[in-house]
Amino acid sequence: MKKAIALILALVLVLSLGACAPKQQQDNPQQTGDQAKPVAVKIWHDGDENIMNTIAEQVNAKLADEKITVEFEKKTDMASQLRLYGNDPVNAPDMYFYAHDVLGSFVTMDLLAPLTDLVDASLWKDHLPMTVQAGQIGGTQYLLPVYFETLILLYNKNLWKGEIPGTTEELYAYMKENTDAAAGTYALVNQHTNAYNVSPFVNGFGGFIINADGKPGFNDPKTIAAAEYNRKFGALQADGDYNTVTTLFNEGKAAGIIGGPWLVSGIEAAGISYGVASLSDIKLPNGNGLAPFSGVQGVGVLKTALKDKKDAVAKVLTAMAAPEVGVALAKKSGCAPANNLSYNDAEVSANPIISAIQKTAATAQPMPNIPEMGSMWGPAEAMFTAINKNGVDPAKAGADAQAAAEQAIADMH
Amino acid sequence: MKQKMRIKPWLYSLPALILIAVVLVFPIGYTAYISFTNMNLYHWNDYHLIGFANYARALFKLDAGFLSALLTTIIWTVLNMAIQLTAGFFLALALNARGLRLKRIYKTALMIPWAVPAYLSILLWRVGMFNTEFGILNKLLVLLGFEKVDFLANNTIAFCSCMVLNLWMALPFMISTIDGALQSVDRNLYESATLDGAGFWSQIWRITVPAIKPIIAPAAVMTTFITFKQFDIIYLLTQQRGYMTGATLNTVITYAHQNAFASNNYGLSSAVSVLLFLLIIAFSMVTNRSLKEESA
Repeated sequence: MKKAIALILALVLVLSLGACAPKQQQDNPQQTGDQAKPVAVKIWHDGDENIMNTIAEQVNAKLADEKITVEFEKKTDMASQLRLYGNDPVNAPDMYFYAHDVLGSFVTMDLLAPLTDLVDASLWKDHLPMTVQAGQIGGTQYLLPVYFETLILLYNKNLWKGEIPGTTEELYAYMKENTDAAAGTYALVNQHTNAYNVSPFVNGFGGFIINADGKPGFNDPKTIAAAEYNRKFGALQADGDYNTVTTLFNEGKAAGIIGGPWLVSGIEAAGISYGVASLSDIKLPNGNGLAPFSGVQGVGVLKTALKDKKDAVAKVLTAMAAPEVGVALAKKSGCAPANNLSYNDAEVSANPIISAIQKTAATAQPMPNIPEMGSMWGPAEAMFTAINKNGVDPAKAGADAQAAAEQAIADMH
Repeated sequence: MKQKMRIKPWLYSLPALILIAVVLVFPIGYTAYISFTNMNLYHWNDYHLIGFANYARALFKLDAGFLSALLTTIIWTVLNMAIQLTAGFFLALALNARGLRLKRIYKTALMIPWAVPAYLSILLWRVGMFNTEFGILNKLLVLLGFEKVDFLANNTIAFCSCMVLNLWMALPFMISTIDGALQSVDRNLYESATLDGAGFWSQIWRITVPAIKPIIAPAAVMTTFITFKQFDIIYLLTQQRGYMTGATLNTVITYAHQNAFASNNYGLSSAVSVLLFLLIIAFSMVTNRSLKEESA
């Protein structure tokens, strides 16, 4: 009896271990030239589900006759996961959808296929040049841009008094006049220690986080001057973390917020009547408009997908580049399409958020996409936090951040 | 026959040993292997062995910053353990007081912090307690006419805030362990002591503490390790990307994470991990030895 039980237990253990074995590639149809077989193209993302559903609906409708479907799969911290699984044919997705700033690290790791291996370069001839360039590394196109985003100024029409000021000095005067931190009411809030949100000042002053040669610019006098200038605004902008500033705005305790189109669904759900202004219309003391980073969201192809699904992926790329995808994204989620032809649609060109993003894009700078960029966010935030919250001298904070950034780059090799 | 007897126990435990090897030993061994290679972004597929070079760099990283993080970790561990043991002991004692009504309800309520996942507790405290705009503590301060306080703004206040949260999360375990230990003390001892004229404190010191010490010791050692390698409270409260608060507080683990893991250099971060692993093993051996000496 005991032996029988032992045998059964051993069998259960072996079976359960067997269940842990990697799945055979049965869901990867072996392409034998037979296009009639349905093909599923798996795309990883870490973004808004509504946006991905819109893209999937458009692409799947276009490719229904070919029996090709795209399946979006959300992965938390997708960039790190793709670095780990990107060259594993069993676990890697066929494509990924993400912002362009992580492109350099993926290309360095040799995970991605150049898009021209699958489709002709004329596919993105109608796309905005800024978005196309953001998807290139060393002149090779790795990312097909789908939409882009920049920071804009959103304001509560019932709380904001008068017009949006035309200069940062007037804006500061307005903030000083209309902020009562003790009562918890603010004129304008911003994530004032986050590098992405401080970028309008840094770029506007002519400073930089990291240049094209991979040199960090935290100790650059212009970056330091920008950080110092940002401090006085930060002092009137509450704690500055994402949840605090968005809640303050959505609860009607802040009249304005610097943020992106991703805030819009929350603001609309809160029932706030809001207006939009372009940051490039607000001039710094040096005469330049505020110049935020722009992020280009797009799709890249994993090398591992080429073996079995090359044709299907090429068709997905072609479908995704169509202007109708941009139009649907603009109408449903307020995204600014990368394809210029999408703006021929009257509703898209009249959308105030998209107009503000388009206008800002004129002075916006694409985030650097070199591999070193990924290591810059930490030192940058440490620098702005030290200056804004701990009263550290900007030059010292800049020097510390520069040392940390250089060490982080050295550690990469 | 003797030979058979020697093999049989191994055969029986073989499946378990295989499981342990796969789940525990393999990851440690693989990390050790990676630590001797140059695996990083630039050598993702074509990495090769480079000897002890990563260890030399990792040890170089154990600089002034590391020493100050080590000091913080020691102060953090000692303070947390001292408060946990003392507060846990007296709370458990209070829960066992004769004539206390609704004991079970109190005991269940005290378990709640333990039942909530750590990640949730930490984020709840960050927003619900410490936040300058929406936190209860600041709402109370403003109601009482005081200025708002940023409870995570600098190292001293952030250390205290982190410690309060750690105590909130860790006390249930200590209370339940001590509560269990208290049940095992023979009541007759207290009666005899009372007859002999021993007071409350002398009963605690001479009967309760010696009786429960062997039961609490393993729990205390375990908690010491958990406290020593604490990462999530300090990281999520003060250092998470996009939520840095201004405190530059580091324990050895957050320091290692900040310095090695953000760079995607897997060889170097593995070397730092192996060094930390050795440090904790050494710490554990010293603690175990002192426990044995005490019981001998």
